[in-house]
Amino acid sequence: MERSQDLALGLLVAGLGLAAAWQAGSYHGAGGTYPMVLGLVLALCGGLVMLRAARAKTDAPRRLVDVPANLVKALAAGVIYVALILPLGFYTASALLMLALPPVLGFRRPLYTAVVAASFVALVWAVFSLVLNKPLPAELWAASRLGG
Amino acid sequence: MDFFLNAASAVLTTGPLAAMLGATLLGVLIGALPGLNPVMAIALLLPLTYSMDPLVALAMVAGIYNGSMYGGAIPAILLRIPGTPASIATTFDGFPMAEKGEAAKALKIACWSSAIGGIASALALMSVGPLLARATLQFGPAEYFWIAMFGMASVGVMVGSDPVKGILAAVLGLLVGTVGIDSLSGQARFTFGQPWLLGGLDLVVVLVGLYALPPVLQLAEKCDLRGLSAAQLKLASVPFRKGEVRSLLPTWGRSSLIGIFVGVLPGAGGNIAAFLSYNAARSASSEPESFGKGNPQGVAAAECGNNADNAASMIPALTLGIPGNVVAALVLSALMIHGLQPGPQLFHQNPVLVGGFMIEMLLTSVLILLVGGAAATRIFAQIQRLPGVLLVPSILVLMCVGVYVINGRPVDLWVMLAAGAAGYLLEKLNVPLAPIILGMILGPMAEQSVRRALLISRGDPTELLTRPISAVLALATLGMILWPLLRAIKRRRAKKASENKP
Repeated sequence: MERSQDLALGLLVAGLGLAAAWQAGSYHGAGGTYPMVLGLVLALCGGLVMLRAARAKTDAPRRLVDVPANLVKALAAGVIYVALILPLGFYTASALLMLALPPVLGFRRPLYTAVVAASFVALVWAVFSLVLNKPLPAELWAASRLGG
Repeated sequence: MDFFLNAASAVLTTGPLAAMLGATLLGVLIGALPGLNPVMAIALLLPLTYSMDPLVALAMVAGIYNGSMYGGAIPAILLRIPGTPASIATTFDGFPMAEKGEAAKALKIACWSSAIGGIASALALMSVGPLLARATLQFGPAEYFWIAMFGMASVGVMVGSDPVKGILAAVLGLLVGTVGIDSLSGQARFTFGQPWLLGGLDLVVVLVGLYALPPVLQLAEKCDLRGLSAAQLKLASVPFRKGEVRSLLPTWGRSSLIGIFVGVLPGAGGNIAAFLSYNAARSASSEPESFGKGNPQGVAAAECGNNADNAASMIPALTLGIPGNVVAALVLSALMIHGLQPGPQLFHQNPVLVGGFMIEMLLTSVLILLVGGAAATRIFAQIQRLPGVLLVPSILVLMCVGVYVINGRPVDLWVMLAAGAAGYLLEKLNVPLAPIILGMILGPMAEQSVRRALLISRGDPTELLTRPISAVLALATLGMILWPLLRAIKRRRAKKASENKP
């Protein structure tokens, strides 16, 4: 398992390095030479990783993910959350994430989740909006009320 | 002396003092939560420091760093779960002490040892830093180029278990650092027509993704639904017995020296300092067999060693601009956020800031004694009753708010997620993350230095090697890269020789 993973890693890195060196070839002067050299060295490192993996006598097991279902759930939640921040507003999207992700991961205490979510979002609001006065994506409900 | 007097008058004001106290408390809390670590906490804090006074921002970094190193001892002693990687060695004797009903005593020793290690380290930084900065004023572009190369080679080779992957990570970081407009020629590199890439990838955005997302994903995978029960976290306060402090003095002295030495080395971290200090204490002990069975000297050595690494790791960062570990890299990022260029010039251009940060490292070490008392530790231990699964969305929210407020650009959130997912995979494939960040920080400095040196020499590359200091640094860099190769050849020969033996 370790061998095939390192072969894939080496191939990916070597490809990235060569692509970077090729792209840097279109830049003028020293501004192009530096990234080209870096790209070639990166490709060399990737090649070394591949070569070592190909010559390895053992193939030790190495799990990339311990609990795939939970990892996918957390990553998907992160992606959906980031996608919802602009349309829904920062605090609404954050409250939804805090209420939805724990039960999706198997936590079955809704009141506990709701109290932690409310307290945490209130704390973030107090620090970022009240004290630091940082501009964050506006809430959908506030924007529609202002618009109406 | 004026250097520190002026700095002290700036530090001993309400803002920095409040920041130090709050951040040390926060640091102990973060260290006490397994799964969270100081790097992640400081990475999350950095975006907030944009609008702060630099001395207040650095006070928070110092407090979180020193506080979390002690905080890591709390779960290490009570539950045999190291709160931070640097507190692994604390579990060896800390947990057996807790099993014997001496948890409170072990925590007290950990608290005192952390404070003493931190104070010794800060004093080393305050005495060596200014001297080294004065010496490095003679350096030109060629020397700076080789210093950057040496820093990256040593971190690439020494961090992680695989030197080839370490160097791969460093080169990857250097390449990522070239994205955006080239400051010397003005041409856009690797921007693919995207205007948001013209300024390059924001260091803090990538840093938050790389360092905060992988632990969050691991927390989600572990899916801790319960937290700990109150019964597991009971503590009673115990005073030191007569002669107990005196018996710990040699261990504190030895471990402080080891931690300071390890801290100055690029690439070595608090965990190495703790292990070396622990082994040294066991070797020096008249009863080495008692180590691992609840010997207080073991707790003192590990905790003193890991805190003595903290301020010392800032010596190469502040004087040369070369961060020896990730927290030092974060400190440099904090300085760069405020438009300050790390390196020897920093001591002359911003003496109050540099001296102030050194004093803050010292004061936050002393504060550990105040916030790490028995009553406070009892409260910090309670944080472990919170189910880990609730931390996953909380940290995601903090990451997003922190990253968004830097530039107010939604695209940064996607960059952070992509960097985090890449960081998670790379870590699993044994590719260390620290050299990537180091490459991003040092890359622009290395490129500008080498191009300036070549401009000065009218394109003659021998200029990079003919000056005495640059020649020594070039040889040191080569030696650092070849060292693991030579070690592997030696090991293979020894193996062959033992196989051929009849």
